[in-house]
Amino acid sequence: MKSAKDNVELISIPMVVDVPYRFAAGKYMTRFLTELRDNGKFYGIRCPLCNRVQLPPRIVCAVCHVKNSDWIELGNEGTLVGFTIMYLPLTDPTTGKPHEPPFAYGSVRLDGSDSVIDHFLNVEPVVEHIRIGMRMKVALKEREDRVGDLGDILHFDPVT
Amino acid sequence: MSERVAIVGVAQTVFSPKRPDVNYAELAYEAISLVLESTGLSVEADIDNAVSCSHDIWDGQTISNIGITDVIGGHLRNEEKLAMDGSTAVYYATIGILSGEFDCTLALAHTKMSQTNRNIVNNTAFDPIYSRLLGLDFTSAAALQAQRFMSRYNISEKQIAEVVIKNLANATRNPWVHNKGFYTLDQALDSPVISSPIRKMDIAPDSDGAVAIVMASEKKALKVTDKPVWIKGVGACYDAHYLGDRDLSECYALRSAAEQAYRMAEIDHPRDEIDLVELGDEFSYQELLWLEGLGICGSGEAADLTCRGFTSFDGALPVNPSGGLLAGVPTNVAGLNRVAEAALQIRGEAGDRQVGDVRIAVAQGHSGFCGQHQCVIVLGRE
Repeated sequence: MKSAKDNVELISIPMVVDVPYRFAAGKYMTRFLTELRDNGKFYGIRCPLCNRVQLPPRIVCAVCHVKNSDWIELGNEGTLVGFTIMYLPLTDPTTGKPHEPPFAYGSVRLDGSDSVIDHFLNVEPVVEHIRIGMRMKVALKEREDRVGDLGDILHFDPVT
Repeated sequence: MSERVAIVGVAQTVFSPKRPDVNYAELAYEAISLVLESTGLSVEADIDNAVSCSHDIWDGQTISNIGITDVIGGHLRNEEKLAMDGSTAVYYATIGILSGEFDCTLALAHTKMSQTNRNIVNNTAFDPIYSRLLGLDFTSAAALQAQRFMSRYNISEKQIAEVVIKNLANATRNPWVHNKGFYTLDQALDSPVISSPIRKMDIAPDSDGAVAIVMASEKKALKVTDKPVWIKGVGACYDAHYLGDRDLSECYALRSAAEQAYRMAEIDHPRDEIDLVELGDEFSYQELLWLEGLGICGSGEAADLTCRGFTSFDGALPVNPSGGLLAGVPTNVAGLNRVAEAALQIRGEAGDRQVGDVRIAVAQGHSGFCGQHQCVIVLGRE
């Protein structure tokens, strides 16, 4: 027999909080995304004082608090500095669809950059196949499919 | 411990309906770099605290200040954000300096209203179980307040329209704002009704922009500028969240905030002692209600005062000579822009909108629908 406590009805209201945005990429990221889309090239921004080459390109060097100004072409290869194998189906906010697990995220320091860039790794998602220090190469969508966002990068492939 | 706190520098971006060319960090940096340049101060050598005002839901990013960490100088340093109107940045910066903890604070507010939809954003300010399902936003809530205020004190739409006409005419003197012009009473009353009694021209339009100011202890301030603007008094107060808990024809939170600020500033007769008011006219009727809350006149008297020209540009007590928020100043930035405008007036640097000799000015900001949270800053030359 149920106690009175078990019979208490609890109400909750389902609601989707759906706020539309259109985010301006800004002066610096617009140039980065244009180069990526049109020429398949990566550009970082270098601080005129400390010479850090930063990704994503941004207006101010956080360390020196001066305006960044020097655009530096980076390689499309780099070194893996960290990774994780995902077992949760995380949602892509631009499509609303989940990424199918398991898959691997990796952090790659592109040659010539002081920052790392995070993206998918096109490797079998098992620990034995991924190691810190691996050389990785960017794989982009075909030129006609690139739209000027970070999704123009498909993933990183291991350099064989 | 510092006994006095001063504003030593003020900078603002142009406020425009849409800035598609910049992200919000770049927008904020326009104001920050200007204020640092004009004061000769550097983040490394001089600024030891930063306080910013912005909203996650407006910026589309949780902890919205992470987007401005680099430009405000918050990297491996102290920076704090309030999800409140920009006037509260001045309030908290003042407290920090008075405590002796900080010497020189950079206060910032930024918002790009153009990147989303104000009605949807403001609907999320309402409690999800009790009132959000109605679809209420700030305009519809303000309309309930306007109706209540107008019916209680027998205030006409014509009297409210006088605020619109005054502020948009004042705005023609202000190069930083985008909504301005000389309008007739008929034109104001022909403006389409959005949520009765509120018409399109009664609503502060969507705007993008940022304001940055630098505040310092007395010792530091006197090294930086020969025109410090002293923070004479500050006050802040919350009213109830639910509209149904509040008498919307009154503004108890503002009365309390103003009393705190006046007590600190030793102002006994605000109407006689204050030379200028910059207040948050997010909706035109609010200018009247807030004037009453600020103790400039009794309840229900601000409409007559306005129609008599008391608050006009060349009136006895100019109110919003900048054009106020109706002229086009972003939400959240609103109150810091009020403080900035008041400071410029005291410094005698308000350009074509300078009203004359201003010794004591009051700036008012509010957050939430129908002015739930109120903040009052009294500024002075001496």
